[in-house]
Amino acid sequence: MSNDDFGMDSLLETFIHETDEMLEQLDEILLDSERAGSISEDNINSIFRITHTIKGSAAMMSYNSISVLAHSVEDVFFILRESPSKLSLIFNTIFDLVFKASDFFKAELEKLQDEEYIEGDPSELINQLKQQISILKDEAPSKEQTGSESSTVNSETDNELTGNDVSKILVFFDNDCAMENIRAFMLLNQVKPFCNEVSSIPKNPENDPDNANKIIQDGFTIICKPTNSIDEVLSVIESSFNIKSYELLHTDSDANGSPEGQNPKSTPKDSKEEQNIKPTGKKFSSNAKGVKQSLISVNLSKLDILMDLVGEIVTAESMITNNPDLKDLHLESFSKSIRELRKLTDELQDIVMSIRMVPLQGTFHKMDRIVRDMSKKLGKKADLIMEGGDTEVDKTINDAIVDPLMHMIRNSMDHAIETPEERIAVGKSEVGTVKLVAKNTGGEIRITVSDDGCGLDPEKLLKKASDNGILTKPESAYTDKEIYQLIMLPGFSTNSNVTEYSGRGVGMDVVRKNLEQVGGTISIDSEKGIGTTFTIKIPLTLAIVDGMNISVGDSVFTIPITAIRQSFKVTDSSQITINTDGSEMIVMRGECYPITRLCNVFDIDNGINDITEGIMLQVDSNKGGYCIFADELLGEYQIVVKPFPIYLNKFDLKNQGLSGCSILGNGSISLILDVNTLKKN
Amino acid sequence: MTETDIQTKQTQSNGLDNKYLIFLIDDTMYSFPLASALEILTMQPITKLPMVSSDIKGIINLRGKVIPVLDVRQKLGLPEKEYDSKTSIIVLDIHGMHIGLIVDIVSDVMLVKSENIIPPPKKTAESRNYISSVTHIDDKIVLNLDCDLFFNEELKMLVK
Repeated sequence: MSNDDFGMDSLLETFIHETDEMLEQLDEILLDSERAGSISEDNINSIFRITHTIKGSAAMMSYNSISVLAHSVEDVFFILRESPSKLSLIFNTIFDLVFKASDFFKAELEKLQDEEYIEGDPSELINQLKQQISILKDEAPSKEQTGSESSTVNSETDNELTGNDVSKILVFFDNDCAMENIRAFMLLNQVKPFCNEVSSIPKNPENDPDNANKIIQDGFTIICKPTNSIDEVLSVIESSFNIKSYELLHTDSDANGSPEGQNPKSTPKDSKEEQNIKPTGKKFSSNAKGVKQSLISVNLSKLDILMDLVGEIVTAESMITNNPDLKDLHLESFSKSIRELRKLTDELQDIVMSIRMVPLQGTFHKMDRIVRDMSKKLGKKADLIMEGGDTEVDKTINDAIVDPLMHMIRNSMDHAIETPEERIAVGKSEVGTVKLVAKNTGGEIRITVSDDGCGLDPEKLLKKASDNGILTKPESAYTDKEIYQLIMLPGFSTNSNVTEYSGRGVGMDVVRKNLEQVGGTISIDSEKGIGTTFTIKIPLTLAIVDGMNISVGDSVFTIPITAIRQSFKVTDSSQITINTDGSEMIVMRGECYPITRLCNVFDIDNGINDITEGIMLQVDSNKGGYCIFADELLGEYQIVVKPFPIYLNKFDLKNQGLSGCSILGNGSISLILDVNTLKKN
Repeated sequence: MTETDIQTKQTQSNGLDNKYLIFLIDDTMYSFPLASALEILTMQPITKLPMVSSDIKGIINLRGKVIPVLDVRQKLGLPEKEYDSKTSIIVLDIHGMHIGLIVDIVSDVMLVKSENIIPPPKKTAESRNYISSVTHIDDKIVLNLDCDLFFNEELKMLVK
């Protein structure tokens, strides 16, 4: 491979990586804005910037279809940047179009990773976008605000103000606040300092008490030419007392606008903040704006090497600290230095581990899009609730769960959540709920995907499995839980129709395999008519733990220190009771603990058999305490946990008491025991 | 490891496809495509894993990486033999997984012209299942093993 290839490759990689990130940002902004019913100034700018950047870098790489499409979107937002109020003209269609553009970009990025890149054709989208642009341009060439209210017929034409930068604000006071006319007058005075000219309807409200009634009925209209920006005026109104609602009147339809709102903008006070004034805090995720972090992209393989290196340093440091040469020496200064070193390596190890950790947030947000798209397509209504997005996992795990999660969310939307009519018919709320929750439970990450849909039907599942010939025992022998597991067998599908999203029966088994690749498991719980919950558990195997190394025969095992209560030698063999089934127990301080001999569990011939010669370790497990019998203690070490090779997955070593392995200082391998799953004799 | 990977890939494109790594089990010569072979190790201590199938002898530490090791004799259904100084471990790359194979003796690398490759014989015991083809060298026969078939059982259980 020539150097050119490498250069091109990395350029392409960068392009894909950066464009990917921008598209994610774009989607988030779009979703948030669509939900909020408006696009803030900041977001309009962001969308403009993003499409502008994509246009440029795509052009540089000669990816014309991407570049041209980005240009069209950029054009739309260029106009919106100058005149944000025009958004209302294209509000209903622009979201769908930009989402489609985003999808097009993503599809092209996918294609770029293949051998041959065949450009897609964005011309239809571009045409639609051009239409939007002409709609925007056909508007009277007034800038900024509602320039064309001069065309609005206002029967109470008391306003003497004309011109392009005149704004009209319709204000309603709280019900029964009394003296509305006086309040209106006070409001005018508050607004005056921020305007070059001010007028109102009714004019001079304070003069006539009847104005109060007029104001109660029709609201109080402030007409002004702001000195700086209308935002200042609006914020004055915002901070005034007894204001029920205010509304910046735009063109045609708003002449008789009421607080109840006929268009997305005439909403009560609070959400005004999101519209034209720079929002201080968004209701939804703040990933699109907020503090600009300094980030740097790092090649993942470098991180891998770094991780390995730190692991080796930790091991080497352990070997120094526990070196037999130093055994009986009292070296104070040396010990002090060692402690210092230990502190530093601890810190180093923490930071390196955290580098690879990414919050699940990003992955979760991808699901937003899916729920939205599928809701629209299938005519169903569902809310996606996400919890624990700030939980961090290693990047490899994050990458591995994206596809499985997407598939499961799709399943929920497609199969589980019923149509609004169906839901109401069975007494459920019209809008379904899909919940995505992540939690770090110490040794593992637990992610649940649950819905309040129709649940799994054991009978239907059993029948389908039977039809497909994948049952291995008579139907009656299956428990419900086992039946649910059937959906994860290859080729299983209860959909008679193959839809765009599912039904091909290649879903859940691939999901399970993907999860197994990172050592994860998936279980299903469901109740017909109520809902379904998928639980994914992924162990945090990339870890450095404090362990006690023990030997049994020629083998070395490690037990995490946190699991060990105490270790001792049995001096009095009468403490040991042997039960009828051959199992042993030890009585200590009135408590009885079963004994697990490691040489038996692991078929080791040359271990110590005499109970008084070896060492006992009392451990705590989630099934209670018990004692492990081994030959001798080798010492406490910091060990780097390495998962077993994928090749050995089918033997399910995790459930047989082995959570992983570790490389000792002398190069040999120690098996790490999981006290919870270690089988007793 | 990376170096070997790059070398393997480079030599692949230079026509590794007709090179085979020959090893011996008793007196029978077997081979694997050289493209799949990463390196050859002398026999080293293997950490036993108790709850696995009998052909998996355990795991070893290969410069910080933990890889499983299989005994070819066991896989072929032959009786075990004591390891000696000639026993070697061939590390193969099977679809991204690194797996070690214990063989009696590693012999040679042979360059085979396609016309010398003939389909496998219909007899011979278990090894029949794993043989993709047979080559004649001088007057000896080399049984060319097919990686996918050899590891078929295990691969079936995994995602690819």
